[in-house]
Amino acid sequence: MAGPAALILLIEDQPQMRRFVTATLRAHQYQVVEAGSAREGLAQAAGRNPDVILLDLGLPDRDGLEVTREIRRSARMPIIVISARGQESDKVAALDLGADDYLTKPFGVSELMARIRVALRHSRSGDGTGTDGVFEAGDLRVDLGRRQVLHDGSEAHLTPTEYKLLVSLVRNAGRVVTHRQLLREVWGANYAEQSHYLRVYMAQLRHKLERDPTRPRLFLTEPGVGYRLVEGAILPAPT
Amino acid sequence: MTRRLLIGEYGWAIGIIGLTTGIALALRPWLQTIDVAMLFLLAVVLVAYRHRRGPAIVASVLSIAAFDFGFVPPYYTFNVHNTAFFLTFAVMLGVALSMSQLTGRIREQAEDASQRENVAAAQYSLSRELAGAARLADQVAIASRHLAAATGGEARILLKEESDEHAGADSWPAVDDFHSIAVRVAARWAYQQGESAGLGTPQCAEAEALVVPLRGSTGPAGIAILHPEDESPIPAERRRLLEALADQAAVSFERAQLAERHEQAQVEVQSEQLRNALLSSLSHDLRTPLGSIEGAASSLLEEPEVLSSETRREMAETILEESRRMTRLIANLLDMVRVETGALAVHKEWQPLEEALGVALLRLDERLAGHPVEARLPPALPLVPIDELLIEQVFINLLENAIRHTPTATPIRISAWAEDRTVIVEVADQGDGIPPGEEETIFRKFQRSSTTSQSAPAGGSGLGLTICRGIITAHGGRIWLDSNGGKGAAFRFTLPLTGSPPAAVPTEPVKG
Repeated sequence: MAGPAALILLIEDQPQMRRFVTATLRAHQYQVVEAGSAREGLAQAAGRNPDVILLDLGLPDRDGLEVTREIRRSARMPIIVISARGQESDKVAALDLGADDYLTKPFGVSELMARIRVALRHSRSGDGTGTDGVFEAGDLRVDLGRRQVLHDGSEAHLTPTEYKLLVSLVRNAGRVVTHRQLLREVWGANYAEQSHYLRVYMAQLRHKLERDPTRPRLFLTEPGVGYRLVEGAILPAPT
Repeated sequence: MTRRLLIGEYGWAIGIIGLTTGIALALRPWLQTIDVAMLFLLAVVLVAYRHRRGPAIVASVLSIAAFDFGFVPPYYTFNVHNTAFFLTFAVMLGVALSMSQLTGRIREQAEDASQRENVAAAQYSLSRELAGAARLADQVAIASRHLAAATGGEARILLKEESDEHAGADSWPAVDDFHSIAVRVAARWAYQQGESAGLGTPQCAEAEALVVPLRGSTGPAGIAILHPEDESPIPAERRRLLEALADQAAVSFERAQLAERHEQAQVEVQSEQLRNALLSSLSHDLRTPLGSIEGAASSLLEEPEVLSSETRREMAETILEESRRMTRLIANLLDMVRVETGALAVHKEWQPLEEALGVALLRLDERLAGHPVEARLPPALPLVPIDELLIEQVFINLLENAIRHTPTATPIRISAWAEDRTVIVEVADQGDGIPPGEEETIFRKFQRSSTTSQSAPAGGSGLGLTICRGIITAHGGRIWLDSNGGKGAAFRFTLPLTGSPPAAVPTEPVKG
């Protein structure tokens, strides 16, 4: 991590959880500010202007979704929400309200670090990849400038919609994208509820770009929430 | 017997004698006096045979008068010259009396027999219906119906419940069971004395209902309150029928009560066993990982200097693995609670089955490392309306089951196919399979296959298949164990394609 260490605001009411996350983040050279309640968290968010906010959705004093909305009123920094399994609709609501990603409790260190890394990268590079970079992950290579997709070294032939969907995912690589967000981006606002379109095209993409489409390694499903293309390398456009 | 019938009988007697007189008058030129006497005797016997004593006496008196008046000289007076005719009169009267006596007795016997037949028929009909009803409540309903029919009114059965015992026999039945004090007094008397009371009996005759005790083999089981529609006293023979029916019902009730008590006791034993199994299973499954976690963590904390870096790593791994196991167990328990309490909310969306399967396979990636997985989903498989999170859970539970029960390196095959408005999914392994006879029991809560060792470190919670069944049922499908050609276990479940499928996704050409 070049430059000054990123500042992370952790809004979490459980002390044990705060202890584990704070220790882990500090060990990875991040600066950490802790808040034990929504009220305190909102004050710190406004006063310290952190680079990333980790927000537990189950705070005792205020609804996590409200806190998300409140922060988004004035600030654009990435918000990663933390919630328990079985609260998929809350996660989707938080993401649609402007949260960037989520972590499901219990989570491991590698997952936590990956989320923060991706969030920082997206917030620093604006929209992630430019319009002409090259994205590489596993045996997938997407050349955005040439609109060329290589799978395992050979060119994959995609339909226009498949390509559009792929580009949306590449721009958000490493980050979860909800069904609704993808449907809006690829098909338009009128298709926000037609989730089977998305699922069918996703299956088609996997059949063209995954080694084993029943055990996807690149295009991951976030059940009940959306999809996540794995983190990859972004190279400058070849000259 | 009604009054009109009586008048009819006397009319008949008078008519017969009148007719006989007419015939005798017409035939008088050809008949001896003694013949006429015989003719009248025949008429008297006829009346005595057909009717009771009253009409018979009337007939004989009329015959004597007519015979004396018209056929005994001097004619047309009641004077009698020959005293021998008084003997004839006496014989006629005697024959009439003894005939009617005889026929009366025969008739009584016949009525008796038919009455007994009625009782037997009623008892048989009741016993046949009671035999067909196993539950006490049904038997009470049947007996009430039969008693009501035999009473010609209403019948109500009160059974003394075991829970009424604390009230004592003296105060049963309770006051609020009755509208009328007289019936209540009769009811208590009938219950305590074991004899009928109330309407038509010497005891509490002022009551508007007859109370018959239900005498079982071990004492009174309760009472039947019989309320005839017209509130007229019930004749003695009818009362005997009602008592017989009541006693018969009482014996049957006893049997039913006994059977129900036995069944109840068995259910209690079973649920007690289930509770014990649940508790021992839970405490084992929760304590084992917690023990490992606590042990490993305290070693790491208290004596880090004596542990090699490799041991420290192993301990950390133990903590991680055991925490994950607990997480899974708790998730299972929560799912179970949702299934059991009906709190399972199913949010169905039409989607490819492949996606839910993919998530499950990825989640189990590490644990599936030792098993080749073959997924056969035909490309033409239709979209299915499912809740992806729940069906993913079904796949996870079935796959975990296969991992747990099969040796390493044995393959697991997942296949699916469509069959008239249903998609059938199969998860098959090549382990030892499920012993015959356990195909259904393995779906029960906390039921592990008898081949599973209880202490196996990877042992399941015994909830996985129960949860699967709950989820599949909530989707309108069913899940069962299919005989995998005698090799391993094959679980199959159906997902009905109910509702209207979404509009087809338009296909488009590949860009140039």
